[in-house]
Amino acid sequence: MKRKIFRILLMGAVLAALVGLVACGGSDEPPAAAPEPTAAPTATSAPAAAAPAATAPSEAPAPTATTEAMMSAGQPTAMGESCAPSADLTFDDRPPQGGTLVRLFADPPTLDPHLMGDVTSSVIGGEVFGGLVTLSLDYQPVLDLAETCSISEDGLVYTFVLRENAKFHDGKPVTAQDVKWSIERAADPDTLSHTAETYLGDIVGVTDKLEGTADEISGVKVVDDRTVEFTIDAPKSYFLAKLTYPTAYVVDQEQVTDDGTWLEEPNGTGPFKLATYEIGELIVLERNENYHLGPPHLESVQMILSGGSAMIMYENDEIHLTGVGLDDLPRLLDPNDALNPQLHRSPQDFDVFYIGLNVAEPPFDDVKVRQALNYAIDLQSIAENVLDGRVSPATGVIPPGFPSYTENLRSYQFNPDLARELMQESKYADALASGDFPRVTLTISGSFGAAIPTYLEVILEQWRLELGIEVEIQQTEWATFLQDVNDKKYQMFSLGWIADYPDPQNFLDVLLHSDSQSNHTNYGNPEVDRLLEEARTERDRARRFELYNQVEQMIIDDAPWVWTWFSGEGYALIKPEVSDYFLLQMSIPKYRYVYFNQ
Amino acid sequence: MGTYAARRLLWLPFLLLIVTFVTFALLRVGPGDPVQVWLGQHQNDEVRARLRAQLGLDDPLVVQYVRYVEGVVTRLDFGESLRYRGRPVSELLSKRMLVSLQLNAAVVIITLGVGIPVGLFAGLKQGTGLDVVAVTIALVFQSLPVFITAPVLLLMFALKLDLLPASGWEGFFSPNIVMPALVMGVPGIAIVVRFVRASVLDVMAQDYIRTARAKGLAESTVQWRHILRNAMLPLWTIFGFTIAGLAGGTFIVEIYFGIPGVGLFAIESFFQRDYPVLLAIAVITTALFVLANLIIDVTYSLLDPRIRVGGGNVT
Repeated sequence: MKRKIFRILLMGAVLAALVGLVACGGSDEPPAAAPEPTAAPTATSAPAAAAPAATAPSEAPAPTATTEAMMSAGQPTAMGESCAPSADLTFDDRPPQGGTLVRLFADPPTLDPHLMGDVTSSVIGGEVFGGLVTLSLDYQPVLDLAETCSISEDGLVYTFVLRENAKFHDGKPVTAQDVKWSIERAADPDTLSHTAETYLGDIVGVTDKLEGTADEISGVKVVDDRTVEFTIDAPKSYFLAKLTYPTAYVVDQEQVTDDGTWLEEPNGTGPFKLATYEIGELIVLERNENYHLGPPHLESVQMILSGGSAMIMYENDEIHLTGVGLDDLPRLLDPNDALNPQLHRSPQDFDVFYIGLNVAEPPFDDVKVRQALNYAIDLQSIAENVLDGRVSPATGVIPPGFPSYTENLRSYQFNPDLARELMQESKYADALASGDFPRVTLTISGSFGAAIPTYLEVILEQWRLELGIEVEIQQTEWATFLQDVNDKKYQMFSLGWIADYPDPQNFLDVLLHSDSQSNHTNYGNPEVDRLLEEARTERDRARRFELYNQVEQMIIDDAPWVWTWFSGEGYALIKPEVSDYFLLQMSIPKYRYVYFNQ
Repeated sequence: MGTYAARRLLWLPFLLLIVTFVTFALLRVGPGDPVQVWLGQHQNDEVRARLRAQLGLDDPLVVQYVRYVEGVVTRLDFGESLRYRGRPVSELLSKRMLVSLQLNAAVVIITLGVGIPVGLFAGLKQGTGLDVVAVTIALVFQSLPVFITAPVLLLMFALKLDLLPASGWEGFFSPNIVMPALVMGVPGIAIVVRFVRASVLDVMAQDYIRTARAKGLAESTVQWRHILRNAMLPLWTIFGFTIAGLAGGTFIVEIYFGIPGVGLFAIESFFQRDYPVLLAIAVITTALFVLANLIIDVTYSLLDPRIRVGGGNVT
């Protein structure tokens, strides 16, 4: 077990720029911390996930012995019929409570959990609201508002019993009706949620509700005041993981229906209350004394939204933590630097970057050409020499540490001879020799005349040198890129994907099933599709992951992508008096763990 | 004059209609749409179609446009942002306008504060070496584009000398405002200098100046009372233009220095296809520009009795 859990949100700008990925929904981890006014465009995919990158900073660590306790608490247990362990954790070893944690943050695009699709909003949402389940510090679904959860024999019916002490901020108990109403509100066409289909769509009847053909969701049933039953359309074991997303959070029906301004003081169920929100200036979260999992240690959390130079503010003791940009890193890595002891490694995000190849278009309709492109590039050398070791070569679709990740995949190693050989065997060998090779254009997203990432130029150069293939680069602004890539208009494009929820289905099925609309390469392999479908409903975890490993190997061999990077670790600074600020790989409510050790 | 002002005001709605319609149409004809941006890489055609329909984005352009205008006219409602979901555009925009307003006020102070004295000086010293030096320096600064001056200033004052913060915004009375205000204000100085100088020369060639000198007035009296006062009048026009630009942002400078004003907001909103915000910016900046010009024209005649607006043959 890892002794320390770190996390990185920083390097965002860097990686975003580098890898040509852009951050989602506008992206926003705290722009404040980025001293340079890089209006980094943004785009990633995965809101739920961790750091979209646009700008920089932080998240920080402070692991202690309790980490281990929590981690094990998060492990799925074999007890009884329960489908997940409780998120309930006790800390007897903590000093008296109190204190205000101060950090930089960005304006959340929305405070309505049912509309959240980006990290910035989800961070606030997770502290103020809550749902039946949440994620543990090691990314397992654990019980939040629910006290118990059981799955029926056929894997279709999930029964949740609410905790007796689960209450809204105003003291009102959370009932099964509240849960049902909240899910129905999220799926109501008038709510305009763009996440409801993805995260709730497995529940029977949600689609009817979304389409306006049903008033109620037939698959959500109130059994009694504290018991609610969900019926899903197939025994999908990743359903619970999806239910941890803000789309499934519980809101107060009375407040939402009666009060048009309910988001100014939302009556949630989370560990913190939203005490202040001044756009562009300040968010203050205040401890919820009655929190059902035990009140947070901190009195409050202050998030400064008005920007500022994070490093300077940190050194002036104005903020307790910050991400570290590349400019400051060399100085901080020096063991003699006063801040060096406060420097913590943050783990990489769960993401993968790749160059997509449209397999319906020449020359990528020949698998040999696609494989040759993969063999012709020396990723290890580029990672070390161009990217200063800030990334690691992607060896597959699933990033290290993510459920189902395995090191036993045969992935591409730099082998120019083999690459040339494959090109010779391909049906384009003659065309390449005679100069009739199809024109190849790589499209990347980027605006403001953003520089083309150096690593891409090196890759292109290697293709030219090793294979004699000339590739042109074309740059497009994000919204346009998105539309065209979704319409499968690009022959070759650079993109990344960040995990939404901790399940391999979120990578393999979503990105590479031939029916998935997020599969932008026209790739389709009937055997891959069959295995992916089988894995959806396979209930044995080990067997399921085996299926995914098998699928992943087939995809690597079919090479619809040129694999590039998994993002690397980053750094964060955290004041020594702050303990248990965990640097994580996904966005998980975590301020309730933090405490001041002096 | 009342009729003149009324006539100009009557044109305003038509102008606004044209501006908003063009903005409206261009935005929707261009590629990308806000719902797509919401969904990001989670493409789902059904969801997209449903949300577009729900938001009314699928209605005919004219229907959408009429609905928008109706909201603005009858309820002064600029709609809700599509990026900061559920937030009224007016609330989001007013914050940014306040920032741009302060920055631009600093710019005006620099432009006029330096430009007027230098211009007067150059005019009075016409033909001397000092005149040439003043005008040349001003012209050099005017010719330097923002994307040259901004990095150079940053390099000098933020990185080398470490005197000023590189970016960010902390209000009018903070060192953050210095560099962006300089970058925006300095090129404008030359315009003011040349304008004032030309105006001074113009006045100096007038008969009444010769008369003043002929009747034996002291040179200082001639300069202060007759030349300067008359030469200042045309400045009002420049002032008008500058004021009109106050609420609008300056894209490059705001991006470069990370100033959360209208310019930066407009750019961000464009990349997110936040139609209502972009439209509101177009409407408000156009309206301000037109109104400011009208006010200048009307007050101009009050300042200078020789000018009678709408009077016919007087220019």
